[in-house]
Amino acid sequence: MMIAEVQHLVKRYPSFELSDVSFSLEGGKITGFVGRNGAGKTTTIKAMLNLIHLDGGSVSYFGKPLIGNETEIKKLIGYSTGTVSWYPRKKIRDIVDIVKRFYETWDEDTYRRYLNLFGLDESKTPLELSEGMKVKLNLLLALSHRSEVLILDEPTSGLDPFSRNEILDIFSELKKEGVAVFFSTHIISDIEKCADNIVYISKGKIVAAMPKEDFIRQHSNEGESLEETMLRMEGGVFHE
Amino acid sequence: MNNILLKEMKLSSSVLSYLFILFGLMFFIPGYPILCGAFFVALGIFQSFQTAREANDIVFSTLLPVAKKDVVKGRYLFVCLIEICSLALMALAVVLRMTVFSRSSVYAGNALMNANFFALGAAFVIFGLFNWIFVDGFFKTAYKFGRPFVIFIIVTFLVIILAEALHHVPGLEWLNAFGTDHIAKQLILFVIGVIIFLLMTALSCRNACKHFERIDL
Repeated sequence: MMIAEVQHLVKRYPSFELSDVSFSLEGGKITGFVGRNGAGKTTTIKAMLNLIHLDGGSVSYFGKPLIGNETEIKKLIGYSTGTVSWYPRKKIRDIVDIVKRFYETWDEDTYRRYLNLFGLDESKTPLELSEGMKVKLNLLLALSHRSEVLILDEPTSGLDPFSRNEILDIFSELKKEGVAVFFSTHIISDIEKCADNIVYISKGKIVAAMPKEDFIRQHSNEGESLEETMLRMEGGVFHE
Repeated sequence: MNNILLKEMKLSSSVLSYLFILFGLMFFIPGYPILCGAFFVALGIFQSFQTAREANDIVFSTLLPVAKKDVVKGRYLFVCLIEICSLALMALAVVLRMTVFSRSSVYAGNALMNANFFALGAAFVIFGLFNWIFVDGFFKTAYKFGRPFVIFIIVTFLVIILAEALHHVPGLEWLNAFGTDHIAKQLILFVIGVIIFLLMTALSCRNACKHFERIDL
């Protein structure tokens, strides 16, 4: 089932342009969004969350355009923006107490389960958390309102290998429940491990958006890992 | 909208915004330019903008399941709530100075502006200017607030000087009416002040929503 469609996104900055970015997200699939620093991953994610004003293109969820259906759609989206911390001096308990009021689907049991799993202490403030724990706090908020699509910007960056594995396992669990998981990363092995689909962006343009198996079949040389393939491809793009 | 206002009050605001409401009580001080009280209340609200910016509040709020324009409206609601609370204190001071303290020698010899309905109307105008110049100005970038606040300071002090000076102009002495003198004229000016506040707030909120839709976060 198609959950989200990103169509022909265009965003022009003085020194960078996101041009004709299109891909779609399916329910029950994990999509890895990969590209080097400055390739346009965060800009694309911001566009998917209506944080930037587009010069062209559209984003729709569940067949409805985001613009005009923002409130309804955002209730079904979980997001996490890496290690950005909100309200650094407020207690986690107080932040959660406000956030959950916005979601009718807030699930206190799920919240408690992930709170324990992530080892987060509600009486702490985001300022007292390590970078990795900040990522977990963002994920906790994203996971606790039973979202049907998760959009995560670098969710595994800054995490230790054990926590990264935990997060990837959670993605796999959510996939079984029919959730569409879309995450950007620099860590190709994370994509290798759990992604069904790959969206590969370079210099603001989509190079590939396809199932991981198809990507490997089309682009990888024999005996080459996904990471080696991408490094080779990125090198090719770099030298163009 | 209740939830976004609650978020503003509990997460985004500075405690100074609440404490500075008490500057509304400056309307009780004799021999003092009492409209400065309205300026200090605005200064308290400014602290919340600073606190909210440090906490990445705008991006956080925009990611919540609300329309972008509701983020702006929530902030306006919070600002107006603080303003109305301080105006209530100012109104209390006006009524008490017009009635209970109307025979007080401390107030009778007041060289500066009296706390009457004209002064209360002028306080409404100052808050209207704050919403129009500062709050709307902030939402042009949702980040920069120095320039709009400096413009607000300059304009506000010009308004305060003008309000303090007007009753010295021959024929306009009634602007500084004491007690219930010239009450009809005072009430007319008060209503005009309220209308100016409402117009400036409503129009600037509409503009701020438009600006906020266009900017990149």
